[in-house]
Order: sequence, then structure tokens, then C-alpha cells
Amino acid sequence: MNPELIELRDSARQVLGESGLGASEHQTWPLVLDLGWLLVAVPEDLGGLGQGLAGACAFYTEFGRRVAGAPYVPAMLAIDAICAAGRADREDWLQRLTTRDYVTTPLADGELTLTSSRPGKPRLSGTAVAVPSADKASHVLVASSDGDCVALVPLRQGGVELRERPTWDRSRRLFDLRFTGLELERDMVLASGSAAQALCRRLATHRDFALAAGAVGGAEALLDLTVDYLKTRRQFGRPLALFQALKHRCADLKAQVAAAEALLQDALQRAGEALDGAAAGAAGREARLLACSAYAHVAEEALQLHGGIGMTAEHHCHLFLKRALLDQHLGRGGNRYDLDLADALLAGA
Amino acid sequence: MDQIPIPTMTTGGNPEALRAEVRAWLQQNVPQGWRAALTGTGQDAFVDAQRDWFQRLVKAGYATPHWSQEWPGGGRSLAEQKVIFEYVARAAAPRLILFFVALYHAACTVMEWGSEEQKRQHLPGILEGRVWCQGFSEPNAGSDLAAVRTRAERRGDRYVINGQKTWSTLAQFADRCLLLVRTDSSGAPQAGLTYLLLDMRSKGVSVRPIEQITGDDEFAEIFFDDVEVPVSDRVGEEGQGWAVAQSTLASERGLTLVELTQRMRYSLARIAGIMRERGVVDDPALRRDLGRLIPKVHAACALADRYLLKRIEGTEVAGDASIVKLNYARTLREFTLLGQRIAGLQGQYQEPFIRGGGMETGNWPFDFMNSYNWSIAGGSDEIQRNIIAERMLGMPREPKNWTLA
Repeated sequence: MNPELIELRDSARQVLGESGLGASEHQTWPLVLDLGWLLVAVPEDLGGLGQGLAGACAFYTEFGRRVAGAPYVPAMLAIDAICAAGRADREDWLQRLTTRDYVTTPLADGELTLTSSRPGKPRLSGTAVAVPSADKASHVLVASSDGDCVALVPLRQGGVELRERPTWDRSRRLFDLRFTGLELERDMVLASGSAAQALCRRLATHRDFALAAGAVGGAEALLDLTVDYLKTRRQFGRPLALFQALKHRCADLKAQVAAAEALLQDALQRAGEALDGAAAGAAGREARLLACSAYAHVAEEALQLHGGIGMTAEHHCHLFLKRALLDQHLGRGGNRYDLDLADALLAGA
Repeated sequence: MDQIPIPTMTTGGNPEALRAEVRAWLQQNVPQGWRAALTGTGQDAFVDAQRDWFQRLVKAGYATPHWSQEWPGGGRSLAEQKVIFEYVARAAAPRLILFFVALYHAACTVMEWGSEEQKRQHLPGILEGRVWCQGFSEPNAGSDLAAVRTRAERRGDRYVINGQKTWSTLAQFADRCLLLVRTDSSGAPQAGLTYLLLDMRSKGVSVRPIEQITGDDEFAEIFFDDVEVPVSDRVGEEGQGWAVAQSTLASERGLTLVELTQRMRYSLARIAGIMRERGVVDDPALRRDLGRLIPKVHAACALADRYLLKRIEGTEVAGDASIVKLNYARTLREFTLLGQRIAGLQGQYQEPFIRGGGMETGNWPFDFMNSYNWSIAGGSDEIQRNIIAERMLGMPREPKNWTLA
């Protein structure tokens, strides 16, 4: 991490720290806009901070650490798409998205089809799933399932049906968006054909890294809190942290979290700038698979190590657990991260 | 040794230039078919092959990149040393097992603690192929090294040694031994240790190879029966042995795990090949297992790389090394377990193993059993977990004065 990014990250850590664990979207989204956090990965020539995906990931980690409610990842994905698509009016869009309007992006793969029958406008049908805070968004960024089209779709119009889908994780408010032959304005199509395919690959990789970075932050924070609890809680006349059976479990968790974090940084390096490339895609898949598995495992163990207090709603344990459980089902569909990695290795061997 | 050429000095401190040079050299020099040649052989063939490989590396200057500038091949930065280890791993070249203690443990200990006379006496011999072994572990001092009991009694200008060492790598071929002995039992256990450079031909030294569960015998027991060692063969002061031993153990600075994790990474391709050979390439359960292993292997590499970087920058903290080793040991175990699942019943039929073939030879039951070397030796997984818990996570140590209830 460069010094500028470390400074940015530290200030984000401090500000998010002051809002407390599990702070709501209502509390944290104004911070995102006021402090310019959406500009982190925007290239400098477009008025951003030019910190790239590594910069974005540093922030995702901080949001994960605090289980913060702001829909930061979907907004960052939409902004990335607009920067990458190279439209003539992208600076206007960036101005809107980084200061005022919220554009959301699905965190999982839905089923969407776009039919463009000339000379008519393209029509969108199907369902986008796991779309965070869609009720607050002016637009949603969608890609057709075949990857041939990426478009921004205005949400405040007929032909779009929003359905809130509460999950156990209260740090994210997810929606299904149903489209029934919705006509798209041509100028809302960001990319089509091979350009859209490349953009889709880029966004899927970015999303994998975002999930990985958030999971690393959550896992690190939850392990710290768990170890602190074991040091404080006394039973049998001694702190629980003195029992070797518990120390070794914590050490294993620490080793797993350290591995996920090291892989995340290594994968970011391997991914480089060409986020639509196969190398970046594989790096992102690896980071996502290991980090989300590690987070889920830390969360599973943390609840047990906390004992009864962890089962109470007022304690913070469950905030992490529920986020970790949901994380494992976000990203690319079909529970295929492991299979995809094996496929790539077997194809190359 | 004056006539040993120093071809590598031309590239100076430039890891990029070194890459091309090392790659080209390896293409020319890695013995063709060495794995097959060492499959099902005795130790003698292995020792001959190691001597040959050692001489090639010494000639090229690649055996001693960590030695100081005045030595052939020496004066290389840690980043350059990493390049050499990485490319040796990538080329699936033999590991320099027989000479590792000499090149790293013995050389670094003598360089740091030895007298000028000791340096003159021992360092050139290492480059000429003198084999060293390590005499630290004992039957009752494994992970708990301070419990060493082999006694050294001072008589005039000699120490007289009695006791036993064990788990000494290839001691049956060693010329010299890095020997940790107890000269004082009165104070703290660490305070009474002394460090000697023992001539293995001394009267009263006997070596017995340990027949391991794998059929290999790469470790040995060493017995001392009134063995006399001149006081001039002591390194450091009497009672300073613990500190000297810490230098010995720190001498490889994480490079071994850089090499081993890289070897594991390149062995993933071997696992893919074996899946194809066995006709199980479409087995979805095996594919999932393989897919879950891949990021763990890459993470083990990333951790080892990062640790080395911390050593270069001087930002290492207590417990960092434990994280690297624990992750490697656990991932290697998983790797060998997957290998066995892929090989199936066929893999259980006994086949001859490769001597010095690395940790992922493709003889999976052998590799699985061999993987315990990494979860037990050099501080067992349990010791690493204690270090991580106590020194990184700040969890309290167990009280020293416990009694059975």
C-alpha cells in the first residue's frame, strides 16, 4: 500500500470506528458521499484518487471490519463500469454518482435477457437478484446473462418491480428486481458485444475482490473481538484465554485469516490493471473463495467461543456471523468457485 | 578454492537479470531424469547424486548466495537469493538436502559466532563438500529444546561428552556436527547450554540411522560415549549455547519455505496430470477438492513471500514465521490427502519411493507420511499455535508451576 492509500484507509477506519459496529445505511451512506470515498478507484484524469482496485479493496476491508450498512460495494461497481465503458458523458455521470445519486449493482448473478429487435429499442426481461438498497437507487447496473449487453436502467418507472428480500444479514438490504420487457433507451447501454463481455468479466472480478476484501476485514475484526472476550471472561478461576484448547483454535483461525489476507494482496498484484483478463479473473476467484470460507469459519467458531453471550441479539457476534453466511452465496452463481479454479488448472495442465 | 569461478558477480544486485541467468543455467544443468534415477535406490546413489548437484551449484555460485561478498557466489541480496530458490523450485531440480546444514546452519553460525581461526578451519571445507549435521534434538528434548541433557564435562582443554542426540538429518554421512550440550544444570535450563563443533570421527561417536515409517532413513541417532572435544571447538562462550543455537535456527531466514511453497505450487500441475492419468478428471468431488486446495497453496506461497519481504525490510514481528510454517504444514497435509484420494486403491499398492524427491513425489501414501516432517520438526504445529496465540494474539502463557490435580 502506498502512503497516500494508508492515510486514506486510516481515516476511513477512524470515521467508521466512530459510527460503531453494524452502523446503519442511514448513518454511513452520508459519510461515503461527504468524504468522497466513492472517488477512491476513479482514475485521476477523471477527477478521482487513482488508487485502483487495491485502493477500493482497502476501503471494502474497512467496511467489512465494521459491518457497516452503506451500500458501498454496489455503488463502487457501478462507478467502475462507467469509468471503464468510456462514454463521452461519463464525467457527468461520475459527478452525479459521487455526490448525489446512488446507482446500485446486483451482488449475485440473476437471469436477465435483452432482446433487441430492430428498429425497436432493446427490451429487458428477467430478474436481477441480491440488489442492495434498490429502493434508494436512481438506476441499477445490469448485464444480460449472456454477457452481451451492460446497461444502466432507471428504476423509477413502470416495467420494474422491486421486491425487498430481507435476509438474516441486516447489514445489507437486498432486493429482487423484476423486468418485464422493459424498453431501454439506447444511450443507457454502456457496452454491447465483445466490449460488454469484457466489461462483464471486469465487473465480476471486481465483485469477487470486493467480497474477498470485505470478508478479510470482517474475519480480522471478529477474531480480535473474540480473543479480547476470551481474555476478559473468567471461568474456573482463570481467564478463558489461558486454556490451550481455546488458544489453539484461535491460533488456527489467525493463521487462516492471515492466509486469506496474504492471498488477497497477492491476487491484487497478479490481477494488475487488466481486470477483464483471465489472470485477474482467476486471482479474484481464489481470493473470494479463500476469504469468504475463512470468514465463515471464524464466524462459526466465534459464536461457540463466545458461549451464551454470543446467542444474545444485543451482542455483536451475530452481526458478523450473518454477514459471513450471506457472503458465501454472493458473487458468481452456482457455487462454482472451486470448480472453476479446478477447471482452469486442468485445462492448462 | 581460489580457482572456483565467480560467474554470477556480473549481474550484481539485479534480480531481473539474475532470473534469466538462473533459468538458462538450470536448463543446462538440472540432471536429466534424476527422479527416475533415484527411485527405489539405496542411500549411496542419493549421496552421489547430491554431491554431483552440490558441485554444480557451487561452481555456478548458486550454493552460497547468502555468504558474504568475499566468498565465491556470495554477497547476494535476499531478493536475489529468493530468485535462485524460486527458479530451482520451478525447474523441479533436486533439493540440496545433504548440504543444507553445512551451507546454512553451520556456515551462518561460524560466520556470526566463530573465531577467525574457526572460520579459516571450517568455511572453505564446506565449499569443498564437507557434510555437517545438527545435534540439537534429543529423545526428551524435541520441541522443548531447552531440555537438552547431553552432558559436556570440562577436563583441562577438553570437554567430555556423554549422551544421545536424535533426528539428525543424514548424520550417517556427516563429517562434523553442530552440537548443543549441557555444561551446567544449576540455573535456568537455557543458561547451562554450550555449543560445540564436533568432529564426527572422534572416538566414542556412533551413529545409527532411524528406519522411518516411509522406509527412508534420512535421519539418525547419534550416541556419545566419553567423546573428547577440544575446547577450541567451542563456539561462543560456555553457557552461551542457547543464543548461538538461535542464530543457527534463524539462518535460513524463510528461504526454505519460499522454496517449498513454490515447489508445492508447481506440483499442482502434477496433481492435474495424475487426475488425467487415473481417468478421474471428471470426478466432481475431486474437482471440488482440487479447487479448494488451489487458493490455499497460493496463499502459502504468498505468506512465505511476504515473510521474506518482512525479513528484507526488517519489519518481522513475533509469530510471523509461525503463521508461515503452520499454514505450509496444514496445506501440505491437505495436498497429500487429496493425492491419496485421487490415486485411490491403486495408490495403496506399494511402489518404491524417490530419495530426496521433495514433498510431493506422487507416491501419495509416502508423501502423506513424509508431510509429518513439517508438522512435527522445527517446532511442531502445536508449538506454532502456542507462539501465535501467546505472541501475536496476546493470550496468556500457561503458569509454569502447575501440578496434577
